Amino acid sequence: MSTAISTNKAEKVNPAVKSTAYRAKRRFIIISLVPILLLFGVFAFLPIAWSLGLSAFKYDPLSSNAIFVGAENYIRMFQDSIFLKSLWVTFKFVFIAVLINIVITLLIASAIQRVRIPWLKNGFRTVFFLPTIAPLAGTAIVWNTMFNYNDGLFNMILAKLNMAPIQWLSDPHYALYSVIMMTLWADIGYNIVLFIAGLDSIPDMYYEAATLEGAGRWHVFLHITLPLLRRTLLFVSITTVVSYFQAFPQFQIMTKGGPFNETRVLSLQIYEQAFSSSNMGYASAMATVFLMIILLVTLLQLRWGRTQWEH
Amino acid sequence: MHFSKFMLILAMICVVIAEAGCSSSSTSGGESSADSQGKVNLVFWSHQEDAIVGAYKNLISKYETLHPDITIEYQTFPYDVYSQKLKASFSAKKPPDIAEFFGTWVPEYSKNDLLVEIPDSENVKKAYYDAPLGGYLRDNKLYGLPLEYNIENGGMLIHPQMLKEQGLDHPPSNWTELVDYAKKLTLRESDIIKVKGFDFVSADNITFTFLSLILQQGASFMGEDGHVDFHTPEAQKAMSTLVSLVTDDKVTDLTTFGSELDTSDYFFQGKSAMTYRGPWTIAAGQNNYKVDDFEYVSVPSFTENPPVFAAESGWGLAVSKQSKQQEAALDFIKFISEKDNLTTWNTDTFTVPAKKEIAENPEFLKNNPHLKPSLDILALGQWIGPIADRDFFFKQINDNFQLMASGQQSVEDGLANIERTINDNQDQHK
Repeated sequence: MSTAISTNKAEKVNPAVKSTAYRAKRRFIIISLVPILLLFGVFAFLPIAWSLGLSAFKYDPLSSNAIFVGAENYIRMFQDSIFLKSLWVTFKFVFIAVLINIVITLLIASAIQRVRIPWLKNGFRTVFFLPTIAPLAGTAIVWNTMFNYNDGLFNMILAKLNMAPIQWLSDPHYALYSVIMMTLWADIGYNIVLFIAGLDSIPDMYYEAATLEGAGRWHVFLHITLPLLRRTLLFVSITTVVSYFQAFPQFQIMTKGGPFNETRVLSLQIYEQAFSSSNMGYASAMATVFLMIILLVTLLQLRWGRTQWEH
Repeated sequence: MHFSKFMLILAMICVVIAEAGCSSSSTSGGESSADSQGKVNLVFWSHQEDAIVGAYKNLISKYETLHPDITIEYQTFPYDVYSQKLKASFSAKKPPDIAEFFGTWVPEYSKNDLLVEIPDSENVKKAYYDAPLGGYLRDNKLYGLPLEYNIENGGMLIHPQMLKEQGLDHPPSNWTELVDYAKKLTLRESDIIKVKGFDFVSADNITFTFLSLILQQGASFMGEDGHVDFHTPEAQKAMSTLVSLVTDDKVTDLTTFGSELDTSDYFFQGKSAMTYRGPWTIAAGQNNYKVDDFEYVSVPSFTENPPVFAAESGWGLAVSKQSKQQEAALDFIKFISEKDNLTTWNTDTFTVPAKKEIAENPEFLKNNPHLKPSLDILALGQWIGPIADRDFFFKQINDNFQLMASGQQSVEDGLANIERTINDNQDQHK
């Protein structure tokens, strides 16, 4: 309806004026975009292209020679048990952490959204958002001390409960979950704020109608809240998946990939191959595969999360 | 037209700004110069360790007093990032004039012609022990000078009082006695070890002990073509012995492995009775923990053979080929390596001398009595060999050791894994 009205109005405008206005508008958009596009080009697209090229070479940054090896780095990758392990660990981490993150943040956001006292609601929002302000590296160091086997907070609590201490970061059964725990603590604030905004934007009339129909809370959540929150959910899940795929500082600081590579995520493996082992070409090949994986997962999410809902 | 020009100018400004950001000069690395008054500025990098930084600062100050025309800009970096920082600076062609290197890192730089050869190599190398010199040598030429003999073998920290409480009045004199002592000294509360009898489970010592147990049986761990060979009965026996200390003898465990504290920290906190570690840890005990009721004693040989061992080259200094002040930089290294200065450096840092005349000087032993176990065996050390990726090498042994010691893998499979992964990695660096 609104589109039809604007078209009619546009038809009444002189074509010459329309063309000038259009050009000015286009110029403004281009001028606004050029700096950011240049920055993207220099700092994002160029390195990606460079890395793609480098993945066909055997290249040690200390050496002046790079040897062309074609697809050898890619072939080697799929025979490399540590790479395959890191791929598995990355998917495991992303799947578990994203799932828990979304469930927890949605529950907390729903609970906060029900608080009707504004200062209390803001207070909760602030409390949950606070950990995200701290740099992840600093948070990882602090959590490292809490996970300490001898004097760490968690084992002190277990001792008070007469339970055996746990090697949080050096037992292969617990290490990944310990890092997930820390990541969730540090990160859920963002998604809570986003979900609260999404929940706030759902018009009350739907809930009122459901109440009049006698729908229960679970029904309301399942058939009204979730579908109308789908766009927020899509945004949250894509950004969380991408950011968890790229998780690095907590692994580098807390476990360095150990024990037995149980926490060796792909970003850490790429970093170590590039900067510790000086295998820049091999690391670039891994980075290329990593890029493709993230791209594919994001495209799949976009497709599956597509929604026609409007409110 | 006007619009296109504007866009072009804007684009150029953006590119110039971006380029300026990428290429702006930094004070780090390669900024040596001689100013208009002929004063030479040298940039010197080292890793951060309190005693080592202090020792360098004293010698820099002394050197600058003796050479008023030279200024040394000393910068330090945490150990964890130092190796990457060095690589990045050399690959960006902005290295410091003088850099502290760990010996095992040097071959990667010397083979790429990034370091200046030490003059009169042939004579200079006679002054040093072979083991610490290994990494700095290439085609019989020296590309740096070691300041210390990196030795993790031959000596251990003990708490004499803990031994006395178990009726043990002298340190163990053979391997059987060592294991027996360790069992007696281990204190448990239910299944949890409260005081470890003999702790060797550190990132360095698992590997060094494993290699020394092979060598002490008269075997070698280096095969052909830069490969390691762990398919030997001696390697099998060495690894089985270490695994047994955890699984059967139960004198230590894996609980503190990978934690932020060193095994020596746990020793000085009273959580182990005997800890196999290098003599450099003595400084930590005395300075950080203010503990002095400990001793540093010899670790007996695994066999009847002398306690031979493998060693890395230790910390040393090298000059970058990119340096514009190579002569002055070499002169500074020569100055630090002079007998008196290096003696002070080794004493201040509790490191074992790489230079024979210092290690064999009775005065040095008199001033550093704790170092006797290490000094006694220096001639028995052999260079660990041309390891392409030191961290990878150690990590493979440590990871597989943990799997073996926790019963998740047999010793045979563990050794086969270690050998395969290390040899693959060695091949990648050819």
